[in-house]
Amino acid sequence: MTHQTHAYHMVNPSPWPLTGALSALLMTSGLTMWFHFNSNILLTLGLMTNSLTMYQWWRDVVRESTFQGHHTIIVQTGLRYGMILFIMSEVFFFAGFFWAFYHSSLAPTPSLGGYWPPAGINPLNPMEVPLLNTLVLLASGVSITWTHHSLMEGNRKHSLQALLITIFLGIYFTLLQASEYLEAPFTISDSIYGSTFFVATGFHGLHVMIGTTFLTICLLRQLKFHFTSKHHFGFEAAAWYWHFVDVVWLFLYISIYWWGS
Amino acid sequence: MLRSLLVLRQIAQRTISTASRRHFENKVPEKQKLFQEDNGIPVHLKGGVGDALLYKATMILTVGGTAYAIYQLAMASFPKKQA
Repeated sequence: MTHQTHAYHMVNPSPWPLTGALSALLMTSGLTMWFHFNSNILLTLGLMTNSLTMYQWWRDVVRESTFQGHHTIIVQTGLRYGMILFIMSEVFFFAGFFWAFYHSSLAPTPSLGGYWPPAGINPLNPMEVPLLNTLVLLASGVSITWTHHSLMEGNRKHSLQALLITIFLGIYFTLLQASEYLEAPFTISDSIYGSTFFVATGFHGLHVMIGTTFLTICLLRQLKFHFTSKHHFGFEAAAWYWHFVDVVWLFLYISIYWWGS
Repeated sequence: MLRSLLVLRQIAQRTISTASRRHFENKVPEKQKLFQEDNGIPVHLKGGVGDALLYKATMILTVGGTAYAIYQLAMASFPKKQA
């Protein structure tokens, strides 16, 4: 029987990178078929295989860590670096949309009337639902911190309660934003205002949904006793991501909703 | 009356297990035993028959889908002549 003499994790050969890459091909070619040829079978296949890949890949990571014990300190350090770098890449992703917003709003063109918000646009009142959304996300930042402290103190009941509250706040935000989208007096096609507003807030909303999903997975894992008071990096990664989503909203609120009105 | 209340309290205390809800018992040790068995099975199949079925389904959809995508690309590359 051969055993490793180092603390790193040499993973078993896995099919998920291949299925993941192929699912990306199916999603992109699926979009093309949908846009140009009125067929959505490829796109559906792409979304299905993408979900199947994500489910099985991350299921395997849980098996390797919680059930097989491969996540030593050094492996965990690598995962921490990885999550930080991923979140940094997302920061740059959003930076592009903020750049687009400031480019157009700091020097409004004559076709917009030379001012911002442009002619004919009635922006949403930043003191109404957008302010509530801000408070909802800030509160969820508090509840997720409570979750973490409860986890570290070994308080199962409190960690579950606090995590549940965080998830509900995330869902509440999403529902509020959805209703704002339906009620807004302007659409995505209403000049560069509509484009920058809906693309920036839209991608943010998508990230809220992803974060909520990540937190729900953590809830299920905590229910199943996967986390210990000393080792719960999956939760920490979800918490970092959630704080990032909150910070992006604060920038959106200040720039687009408040200054931009 | 007080005595029956005390008895009730004792029973209630006995039925509450260390898991905070009756549905959730700690099954991690069982899982650890299953996934640490020295049988050479890779982690993505080590959970049992369900793993193999899900893997096969994923492969069929992905590889089949890829073939279909390449077919559609071929079709789109050579537009049909109009009569």
